[in-house]
Amino acid sequence: MSLKIRLIRIIVFLMVCFSFRAAHAGETLFYKEVNLIGGYSDRDRWIGKSSTMANSLGFEYYRKFSGDYGDYLTADLQMRASYDSKMNSHQAWGLQIHNAWLEYKLLQAAKLKVGHFDPAFGLEPVLDTHATLIQTLAEEDIGFKKDWGVELRGSLPKFDYETALQLGSGMSIRRRDGSFLATTRIGSPAGGNLQYGLSLLYGEVLQTEGMRTFPKNKLLSDDTIAKKRVGLDGQYLYGPYLFKTEAAFGKNDDKDVLGYLAEVDYTLPRYQNWEFELQFHSWINDLAERSSDDSTLTLGTSYKLSQNTTLRAAYSHDFNMTGMKEEDKIVMQFYYFGA
Amino acid sequence: MKTLTRIIFTLVFLINITCAAYAAVGCTLNDPDRDVKRLFPQSTGYKTSFITIKEKGAEALKKKIEEKLKDTLEPIYENIDVPYAYYAVLKGKDIIGYIHGVNQKGKYGGMQLIMATDLTGKILNFYYQKMSSPEAKKFMDKSFTNQFIGLTLDDFMKGNLSVKDPSQDSHQDFQATLRGLRKNLILLEEFKPAEGNSR
Repeated sequence: MSLKIRLIRIIVFLMVCFSFRAAHAGETLFYKEVNLIGGYSDRDRWIGKSSTMANSLGFEYYRKFSGDYGDYLTADLQMRASYDSKMNSHQAWGLQIHNAWLEYKLLQAAKLKVGHFDPAFGLEPVLDTHATLIQTLAEEDIGFKKDWGVELRGSLPKFDYETALQLGSGMSIRRRDGSFLATTRIGSPAGGNLQYGLSLLYGEVLQTEGMRTFPKNKLLSDDTIAKKRVGLDGQYLYGPYLFKTEAAFGKNDDKDVLGYLAEVDYTLPRYQNWEFELQFHSWINDLAERSSDDSTLTLGTSYKLSQNTTLRAAYSHDFNMTGMKEEDKIVMQFYYFGA
Repeated sequence: MKTLTRIIFTLVFLINITCAAYAAVGCTLNDPDRDVKRLFPQSTGYKTSFITIKEKGAEALKKKIEEKLKDTLEPIYENIDVPYAYYAVLKGKDIIGYIHGVNQKGKYGGMQLIMATDLTGKILNFYYQKMSSPEAKKFMDKSFTNQFIGLTLDDFMKGNLSVKDPSQDSHQDFQATLRGLRKNLILLEEFKPAEGNSR
């Protein structure tokens, strides 16, 4: 049986199981997901994916477990069967596990999470970028958006904290060359119109390519990169504008690196299902070397057709991708998430 | 092309295969542990449940809610599939109150209105979890939000409100706040989470 047939069967089986379960429990949420994406780049011609997404179908299963004395455990499983049109037919299909975690409530102000989740660094853990064309610095900064491991997190009256210890391998479960990733973020309480955070990162991180968990994504080297970072991030909501920013500074082995991002989102007041986003982000791979930066300006828009369905488009211009020529790219997306 | 056709076929199949799934959640607390303790300092825990208009009465309930609201529910953001999160606040094993929120369309974007109520549906606390208005500070100030403490759905239905608009140029957001709070109390009354499916 081919891999793609097996993957589709696994996804369908899990969806049926979880959705049946969802029908009987008010503690459970179940979402189906469809992601169709395509575009054109003047460097790569027709493309069937963005930096973090390919055509895919998947689901999210979310559940609260409660006893007589209240909630004590939360579970989340979010996965996609994806298709990468640039790969040959044997490698085109893959299973991506995004969220796969259990969180146990230890105390009022402390929860222990185990599984696959965001490292506690920068904007990524406080934003939902699972389906968006415009992303944070996480992919360039750490090398991936999620990793396998454990996390302690909680909220105190004046701030939130989270600290994680992970494998340093990203989407796939593997450990080489003593890889690990330790991250910590302390930030203002979630939900205010102004939010900000300070993050630290230290680790020996594996470099991989692709978003697959099974079969494992491509390991670019058996050697890890020693990473050290300090990061700042912030968000401010003012009327129809949402401003986002983050910056990270540190070392990759012996090289000094710096990244920064600035974004403004604008919701049309008269048509609030329509939003525009403008983002500039830059990642400097070696501060001692000229032209070692990857800088991109992106203009995006999203239009919510319904509670479940969103259309997105983004035009981006890469000013300078290290070792590559400039690139103009337009990507369109149909995204469904719901019943 | 063949692959694309297969993907689309599979997707259509998957979309139709299940009937019990939910749409995106209406409004949840950003941090239930902190928020529950802040709103009910005497609490020892809470139970979360998700309830939809669809499962509690579908179109008939929707019509009833619209009659009480004296407005139609917005088809994109207030459709009957949207699950609302209810937090039953516990002291020991006993429920001592509820926390529940709704999304409400404002002048410049969405707002999230969270209220804590006692077992009779009286407002014990109200705050904006999200407020996209240039005059957000005035709305979020306790001198405004505290004016709703003690009110019930009855007061909204009978117009027994003496709350004044705190803004200069955002009357639309003030009206939206009143609509959202009224909707929140109507949903609480109709959903009756104490008898719901969280336990």
